[in-house]
Amino acid sequence: MIKIEDLSVAFGGTEVVKHVNLDLHDGEILGIVGESGSGKSVTALTLMGLVSEGAEVTTGRILFDDVVLRQAGRPCDRALYRKYLGAEMSMVFQEPQTSLNPTRKAGKQVEEVLRLHTKLTGEEIRAKVLETFRAVGLHEAERVYDSYPHQLSGGMRQRVMIAMAVILHPRLIVADEPTTALDVTIQNQIVELLRDINGKQKNAMLFITHDLHLARRLCHRVAVMKDGCVVETGTAEEVFDHPSQPYTRQLVEAVPSRMEGKAEEQSRDRADKKQNPVLKVHNLSVYYQDGKSNQPSEQAEGTGGKRRTLAERLFRRKGQCVVWDADFEIYSGESLGLVGESGCGKTSLSKAILGINPCVEGEIIHASIRPQMVFQDPYSSLNPTKTIGWLLQEPLRAAGALDRSLAMTKADREAAAYDMLRRVGMDERYFHRRPSELSGGQRQRVSIAQALITNPGFLIADEPVSALDVTIQAQIMELFLKLQEEMHLACLFISHDINVVYRMCDRIMVMKDGHIIEIGETEEVFGNPREDYTKLLLCGACGA
Amino acid sequence: MKYLGKKIITLIMTLFLVSAAAFLAFQIIPGDVVSSILGTEATPEREEALREELGLNDPPLVRYGNWAAGVLRGDLGISYRYSKNMNEMMPVAELIGDKLPVTLWLAAISLVLIVLISIPMGVLWAKSRSRVLDAALGVITQVTMAVPSFFLGILVTWLFGILLKWFSPGGYVGYQENFWGFLGYLLFPAISIALPKIAMTARFLRNSMLTEMGSDYVRTAYSKGCGDQRVMYGHVLRNAMMPVITFLGMIVAEIVAGSIVVEQVFGLPGIGRLLISSISTRDFPVVEILILYITFVVIFVYFLVDILYKVVDPRIS
Amino acid sequence: MKKNGKKWNKYLYAGIVMTGIAVVLGILGFFWTPYSTTAMSASEKFSAPSLRHLFGTDNFGRDIFSRVMQGLGTTMVISSLVVFFSGLAGILLGAFTGYFGGVLDEFVMRVTDALNSFPSILLTLVIISLLGTGRQNVIISMSLVFTPSFVRIVRGEFIRLRDADYIKRARMMGVGKLRILFIHILPNIFSVFWVSVMIGFNNAILAESGMSYLGIGVLPPDASLGNMLSDAQGYLQSAPWCALAPGLTIVWLVLGFSLFSEGIRRLEG
Repeated sequence: MIKIEDLSVAFGGTEVVKHVNLDLHDGEILGIVGESGSGKSVTALTLMGLVSEGAEVTTGRILFDDVVLRQAGRPCDRALYRKYLGAEMSMVFQEPQTSLNPTRKAGKQVEEVLRLHTKLTGEEIRAKVLETFRAVGLHEAERVYDSYPHQLSGGMRQRVMIAMAVILHPRLIVADEPTTALDVTIQNQIVELLRDINGKQKNAMLFITHDLHLARRLCHRVAVMKDGCVVETGTAEEVFDHPSQPYTRQLVEAVPSRMEGKAEEQSRDRADKKQNPVLKVHNLSVYYQDGKSNQPSEQAEGTGGKRRTLAERLFRRKGQCVVWDADFEIYSGESLGLVGESGCGKTSLSKAILGINPCVEGEIIHASIRPQMVFQDPYSSLNPTKTIGWLLQEPLRAAGALDRSLAMTKADREAAAYDMLRRVGMDERYFHRRPSELSGGQRQRVSIAQALITNPGFLIADEPVSALDVTIQAQIMELFLKLQEEMHLACLFISHDINVVYRMCDRIMVMKDGHIIEIGETEEVFGNPREDYTKLLLCGACGA
Repeated sequence: MKYLGKKIITLIMTLFLVSAAAFLAFQIIPGDVVSSILGTEATPEREEALREELGLNDPPLVRYGNWAAGVLRGDLGISYRYSKNMNEMMPVAELIGDKLPVTLWLAAISLVLIVLISIPMGVLWAKSRSRVLDAALGVITQVTMAVPSFFLGILVTWLFGILLKWFSPGGYVGYQENFWGFLGYLLFPAISIALPKIAMTARFLRNSMLTEMGSDYVRTAYSKGCGDQRVMYGHVLRNAMMPVITFLGMIVAEIVAGSIVVEQVFGLPGIGRLLISSISTRDFPVVEILILYITFVVIFVYFLVDILYKVVDPRIS
Repeated sequence: MKKNGKKWNKYLYAGIVMTGIAVVLGILGFFWTPYSTTAMSASEKFSAPSLRHLFGTDNFGRDIFSRVMQGLGTTMVISSLVVFFSGLAGILLGAFTGYFGGVLDEFVMRVTDALNSFPSILLTLVIISLLGTGRQNVIISMSLVFTPSFVRIVRGEFIRLRDADYIKRARMMGVGKLRILFIHILPNIFSVFWVSVMIGFNNAILAESGMSYLGIGVLPPDASLGNMLSDAQGYLQSAPWCALAPGLTIVWLVLGFSLFSEGIRRLEG
């Protein structure tokens, strides 16, 4: 039905999509997987005629049935596309937050599709929109209809987007990372919804994702892209179980998976580890600080646009409890994984442990003097105006300023910084560079180096690999494990990605709505989860 | 409603603070008002009597209380400088009364010019795919923004008054005599005030629209099959106008400032000119009232902008 | 993108050339002018621009070009001082209020909000009427009036950056507060601050010449672009160059500077 033949797309002379061939049949779900910059989104946007005006199709063409939608050397025929878009082909985007017009009601935005492509009356349109809302699982259809996007949760917004995309039963739906911005459990629901729609409406679906588990779970066929080229296509089983190309193999292996055993970790002497707790948390409750704009605060908790009632707001002002009675210990040399969805209290707990949030009850006992933290976003973790060398020395300078006995000479500091740089696997020539000259993975290495240079003994890592591509992710995880071994480091590893936690951690702690609902050895929790919620989380990520 | 009440209270508080600050500031300045009114030859008795009459012997806070109470009753005090005749003092209210309409009309015409011209211009500019038009508008607005309003006033006088003779410089007609003649004359000062602001607003709107056009929801609109016009007027314009509303609020404050200067250039008998002359002659009762008045106008406009914003943007609760 | 972004652009060229000429003439004007700026000549009243008198002469027969040079210097010195003082005050106030918040911040913000909502010229006029006219008082009053906008910008940047991950981490390392403020954060706000300095400088030029025009800034016989304009207004019919020369000089200076800052902005963007 859709044929992409030898398609190349260039921005200002640089080709980002190179000679891509893809075809897609009615009722089929084709996954495009690849890391960031592989050209998968550009391919999809070009197919939809939505790619920005700076892009130029240099070779090939795109066919819808037998109609040529786009051809090399010709400008985009927008009038032709207008007939297809919304009616015959539609798209679901990654960010439900920004993909809806913030100042128009959700219902009106979906209505627009009908107004553009059908001659239905106002009443019929409204009825049809409400019906579609219910079909995509928006139970309070009437309320959603009259809500502005900011009054809906992320999952609901994405359902609105999907309603908009499927309302006219288009023959092609392109979904560009539709679940990436959502929590795991919501992610599952959206994936099931898409599968369900595909089953009922028999549309062809182009599903773009960086998540191999997801692709495997949903797609019939998969195309792997790298640097603008399709390196491999085939059925999902073929590609993932018997990859024929080295890159695909590398990609599949990089994905942390429970299939590989944890043999080597298990050989470590657990009993020995339990000797020295670096952190004891006893009956800890953390209270919400009212979001006074003037206090330095971490990013807002909770699902962004949820509507808060007045009572809730008043309650919060008094200090709503966001973490209840947390009780756990972390031992020297051990990694404790902390999993849970956004708003479950992960961040509040880590802030309390670091002493940033003073509104706590209970006990926190540290063995290490100054626990450090590694953040998710490698691009905002390093001061852009400083050199790497300066950044690595700063913790030492600070320690020296606080405690004269720790003061070091300039030469010693530099030597220590060079040494640390080598230990995180980076070349010495990066010493004089600035963060802007580094890739995401390199920056994360420097962040880790900066956190560990004072040998803190305890580190909190808040989603340290979530912003990275899978192959880089694998390297950083290896680095973590290596340094942990070398430095006998205890680590609280926060992640939403259960597979990453599985790979990294000795023990796992599951949080939900401020409560620690399950804590135990990794193997135990994964093999035999006690709580339903844990099962749900595990199921979402297992790819089954 | 709660929002509105809160805003009104802030508005009143600000006015109160500004009036107190303005009043008290002028109390600490050296220089005796009485001797400056009566001249050096007045007898001490007469000076004392006048001092008593003006209430200058009371402590500053009491005087502020009296003054504020007077303002609330509509008694704005008397001018130190102007007098009706030898024996009668000039009330500030009367002094300002016939000058106010001149400034208000000037500001109103300027604002109308700004809104009517800059908004279509900004939209057109954002829509234009022509590089020549884009560059031309860029240069024109950049140059216009660099011209100070008083020099623009002089240029307008020279070009339209002296070279083209569309109006006669200095030939101001009072609104009492010939209203249309009055408006016609005001058009040129209004142009001098409005031109740089038109350039600024058009640029601002254009940038705002271009930013909005790059946002995700615009792509969504295109993916529904919307055409350019529909995306532009149905989605982008409304969202792009929101920051422009705030911007226009600030422009109003600038118009007031501009009119102070431009009245001077065109010899208009408005409150701006009165303010300048009152400042140079240290006629403080007049200055205080004018400050209060201008503050009120500016704050009230901000208040309106806040309300308007709330109406237009559903995200503000 | 980087390739285009780092390239010098035509804004920058035009801005540097225009500002450069103005700055050179202004500085030169302090030491040397073609003619004396005060020497009057009855025989050369109102002579039109010529090679002898580039911009012509005024009602006293003074050479306008020389007076423009002097006026440029005066205007630029006053504007620079104003931006220097208010920028410095803005950095100090903005850094502390933005980073620490609290009561001081609340107070400073109320005051700056109130001052910002005022038309700046009105405020300057009021302060001048309290302090009296004269060059020093012009600098003081303008510095006071310009400070709030700097405070606001610096404060906003400090609020934005105090929650940046790298600042959070600096706090965790135990870096001292002053060091965080001035060594970790401050260098990061320079690109934004620089733009506001440019805008502030332009506004200072406009405000200074406006005040001199109204007769409350630099007073005659000292030349300033504003008071030259005000003198020339009476002879607009017979000698338009008397007004055009100082007026266009202001436009030249302001335009040059705004092109320059636009060029810088694009260079970084």
